[in-house]
This record gives sequence, structure tokens and C-alpha cells, in this order.
Amino acid sequence: MKILIADDSRVMRQIVIRTLRQAGFAGHDIVEAGNGRELVDLARAESPDLVLSDWNMPEMNGIDALATLRGSGDATPFGFVTSEGSDDMRARAEAAGALFLIAKPFTPEVFAEAIGHILVG
Amino acid sequence: MSLTYDEPQLADVLALAEEVWRSFVGDDEPLLPAEPDPGIVAYAATVTIAGAWNGAVTLEFGDGTAEAVSARMLGSGSMTEADVADAVGELVNMVGGNVKSLMPGPSALSLPVVSAGRVAHSNDTTEICRCDLRWAGLPMAVSVHAHRRQDGHQS
Repeated sequence: MKILIADDSRVMRQIVIRTLRQAGFAGHDIVEAGNGRELVDLARAESPDLVLSDWNMPEMNGIDALATLRGSGDATPFGFVTSEGSDDMRARAEAAGALFLIAKPFTPEVFAEAIGHILVG
Repeated sequence: MSLTYDEPQLADVLALAEEVWRSFVGDDEPLLPAEPDPGIVAYAATVTIAGAWNGAVTLEFGDGTAEAVSARMLGSGSMTEADVADAVGELVNMVGGNVKSLMPGPSALSLPVVSAGRVAHSNDTTEICRCDLRWAGLPMAVSVHAHRRQDGHQS
């Protein structure tokens, strides 16, 4: 399966990839985006099975990227991995069509619980 | 966590920093409270929070600390200066994002700004908490500044 990881921090993208491996999701194809606009472009070009996105990014933030995808009929499973996990942010994420919001800092166990059912098969 | 305060509490800020360090820097070397270090601040990383509460969260790193922390985050000793800035920016982003979640909203978190050397805070801010720390024997600090109106209240 193919996972698109969007975060303006290259270090955080590496940590997300490492955490996916630690959570038991090694061997999937990974595509990386550095901002929301790249996320939208790569989601359309690469047709990932899952998008994991930061919220605060330059050029286009994650919630606008999600709205852009959903507005064009793209229903790719989408989850946030962000430093902000307030109830308000979780509600906004869900209303926009996100399946989950993982707050940083996170653990492999949190990843496994959030995305295990999506990456089955 | 739904508990909110008028201003971030030192114990909460320290707990957030410790959680970030345990998750992404490693749990074998804890963050330990320390006496202020008289040496230079080699890197500082800050995020601002603007909205119902206005302030800034800053991490300061003594000589060699940012590089060592970044190497642990990346799992590699081979780094560029951009990698170090990226890593410490992400650390303050996580601490700041969690501080934002503790405070009354709505508010917005800025992207992190990383500087070589100490960050200068404007005259309309007040340092409301600071903790000098050591990680793996290396000096660093976490602090929170609040913006204040001229009448002394939080803006």
C-alpha cells in the first residue's frame, strides 16, 4: 500500500516513517510532501491509500489541503499528525473529513490503533 | 487535556517538554532541572500563539546541545545546519502546540522560527515561566512569554 506523508519538517517525516515501522507497518511505499499544496498534487498523482498530514504548514495548511481533496471528490483516507490535539482541532478535523488526529508527541501504539484497520490487506 | 489556566504553569510546560523528549529524543537521558548556564545560547527556537491567549514558547540550546538532540531525533550523526534548525523547530512546535491546547482558545500557532543565538522578545512581553535544564549533561532552557497590554493585563 502507499502512504503519503505531508509535513514541512523533514525530521518529522523521518520520525513518522520510523514510527510506522515500529508500529508494524514496514514495507509500504512512502511518498513525502513538504506542504499542503504538494500534498494535494501528490495525492492526485500518486493515488495513495492513506494520507498522514501535519496541520500547520507553509504554502497550504493541512486542513485546507483536506478540504481541497474532498471538494474535488477525493475520498482518500486522511489523518492528521499534529502538535495540536485540542478538542476544537479534533472537531474541525472530523468535520472536514479526517478519520483521526494523532497528537505529537506520539507512540507506535497510538499509530497502530489509529491506522491499523486502514492498512489491513 | 481540557484543564485551562490564565497562564501556562511551569510544571505543565516542563511536563510537556519531558514528554516530547521521551518520545522523540529518547528516554535514556531525561531532562533534568539545572542551574542557569552562563554559556552562550547557540540556537533558540520559538513559536507564538495568537488569539484568546497571546504569547510565545521558546527553547534555548547551549553550545552543542541542539546538534546532539537533533542527531538523536534523526538517528544519525550526519546532519546539516538545516537539519538542526528543522529538528529544534519541530521540538518547540510540539511543546508550543501542547501549551496552546492548555490555554483558552481559539488561537493560532505560528510556524517555528529558529535563530542562531538568543531570541529577542519585544518590550510588551513578560517572561512568565522559565526552566533551565540539562539533557545528557548539555545545557538548554524552556520558557514562556506572555504579551501584555499597557494596563498590565494579558492581551
